Amino acid sequence: MVSVVLELDRVREAVSAVVDPEIPVMTIADLGILREVVIEDGRVVVVITPTYSGCPAMRQIEDDVRTALCDLGVEDAEVRMVYHPAWGTDRITPEGHRKLASFGIAPPGDETSILCPRCRADRPRMIARFGSTACKALMVCSACGEPFDWFKQL
Amino acid sequence: MTSEERFQQIVDAEEKIEPSDWMPDAYRATLIRQIAQHAHSEIIGMQPEGNWITRTPTLHRKAILMAKVQDEAGHGLYLYSAAETLGVKRDELQELLHQGRHKYSSIFNYPTLSWADIGTIGWLVDGAAITNQVMLTRCSYGPYARAMVRICKEESFHQRQGYELLIRLCQGSPEQKAMAQDALDRWWWPSLMMFGPHDTDSTHTEQSMTWRIKRVSNDDLRQQFVDMTVPQAEYLGLTIPDPELRWNPERGHYDFGEIDWDEFWRVVKGHGPMNRDRVAHKVRAWEEGAWVREAAAVHAAKSHRRQVA
Amino acid sequence: MILAQRLGELISNAPELEIDIAIGNIALDHLGVARALYGHVAKLEGEGRDEDHYAMFRDEREFLNLLLVEQPNGDFAQTVVRQMLFDVYQLQLWEDLSTSKDRVLAGIAGKAMKEAAYHERFSAGWVVRLGDGTEESHTRTQGALDRLWQYTGEMFEGEQAVYQASWERRVKTVITEAGLVVPDDPYQRTGGRQGFHTEHLGHLLTEMQWMQRSHPGLQW
Repeated sequence: MVSVVLELDRVREAVSAVVDPEIPVMTIADLGILREVVIEDGRVVVVITPTYSGCPAMRQIEDDVRTALCDLGVEDAEVRMVYHPAWGTDRITPEGHRKLASFGIAPPGDETSILCPRCRADRPRMIARFGSTACKALMVCSACGEPFDWFKQL
Repeated sequence: MTSEERFQQIVDAEEKIEPSDWMPDAYRATLIRQIAQHAHSEIIGMQPEGNWITRTPTLHRKAILMAKVQDEAGHGLYLYSAAETLGVKRDELQELLHQGRHKYSSIFNYPTLSWADIGTIGWLVDGAAITNQVMLTRCSYGPYARAMVRICKEESFHQRQGYELLIRLCQGSPEQKAMAQDALDRWWWPSLMMFGPHDTDSTHTEQSMTWRIKRVSNDDLRQQFVDMTVPQAEYLGLTIPDPELRWNPERGHYDFGEIDWDEFWRVVKGHGPMNRDRVAHKVRAWEEGAWVREAAAVHAAKSHRRQVA
Repeated sequence: MILAQRLGELISNAPELEIDIAIGNIALDHLGVARALYGHVAKLEGEGRDEDHYAMFRDEREFLNLLLVEQPNGDFAQTVVRQMLFDVYQLQLWEDLSTSKDRVLAGIAGKAMKEAAYHERFSAGWVVRLGDGTEESHTRTQGALDRLWQYTGEMFEGEQAVYQASWERRVKTVITEAGLVVPDDPYQRTGGRQGFHTEHLGHLLTEMQWMQRSHPGLQW
């Protein structure tokens, strides 16, 4: 039993390190896409949830999770996609917030409290509520003019 | 020390030039031209790929393609905003594009004729763009360099998806593989052209290198791209349409044939297969939307008045 | 699915870049929901079908979508009016289904509900802007509303009648705010849910299904 627990910890660690294909500084654990790793009937089950219904990165993430499992020698595993409860930006970890900011993306939060990731000025201008990906809006800093993405609150 | 010398000192020290810093007029003009051209390329690039959104073979591929084209629009917007930090307006830049006075990447003047073209664009065109953009992440102008860092990550994702699409075709039926080969035959040379003229014929390279906007010459980037791509083509089992292509152990690089420079200049000057169609499409969409933009402006003014009153 | 396909036609054709991105985003959300639902149906049916079966290999009469969503994009006024009429309906439908006993369906609906709220903000916002904008935009938007109104009754057939009152309330609020008039048109065209469509659907399917139908049995 002890070895199973240890094994599960190792699996969990490896799966947690899988990165988001579009924001590779973020792991799926940071983003809250990884919901849990459990053993059901002696089989590893990795439960993930999509950020947005149409997010095209999900299949890639699924593949990357499988590769990570294979590297550990876990061949017989299930990657299960669940929709309930729906993902929200509150799932992003504090570590995730820190990483986003250092990558130049303003982390999610109240729309009135967005700060320019470069000069920390407040009240940026919103250029587009929908940015290059569904999860981001494009902002321009009113002080230094820097364009930057804001990870939208959902 | 003159302003110009101080500027060069900052650049030589590998520090970034920011929007409020002094910069030579020619540096500003070069950057505006280059960033705008980059933004225009993202926007025009939506057309050849958008051409297949309604016809993807599977829903998964439809989601990937829609997201990709949307990414491009987002990158275009991001880059226009980066250009605006240099004191121009997006509308002015778009107007220059519509009038044919601004260029965009010539690669988009070729048509997408089969489903394999979508994978090939991801693999070759995005691959070539990334080669170029990785260099630009170290560009001396801060907002552009930082934009490139984020855009590069998203482009790498596209490239991986494009290549994966081709793997699927190449492992599929003979008919699918032929489709992939035909696409490679058509897109290979135009992709090599994306790196621009030979260093000896490039008018901007030397100055851009001094200003550290550009860090690697056209020919060196092209070589990097060929070296990276040939093994990928071998893995797919496709033949690159260049009889002179071979590994040169002495140089440690692939040797490759000469680009058809007549074709290169013809397309640059506006006589590629799709130049007119691309610009006409863009202008049509813009003109058809005039009443919408006007309505939005009038409504905004009315709401403002109502608020004040 | 059908609306995602329609909106997909518009990409690179919008009046401005921001709108292009928003439309792409909305299309992607609709597509995502459709795929999740197809996946769920496939599991329930248990006959080893996948999402592409439902989208690519059914004929026109087997599609049970609303007539409203298969209507052509027309000008931007028609696009956003169609979207607004549909978003308001969907918002309620998803809200309701998010408490379904079917946990998977509830999950999909819960997610779709959040997204539909974003969509409605976009579409209703534009209906107001256009209705209240210039004389031209007002005329076009009223025209779109008058044309599409005949396809709204179908949304509330059968069990779905429960959504009608609150849908009407919300839609009327938007229309009034836009300075437009609620159409007084007793004629309602229905049939979508019985696979009895307008002539537009066949063309849409021809384009959407062409690759799979002309190269059958391959992996893409």
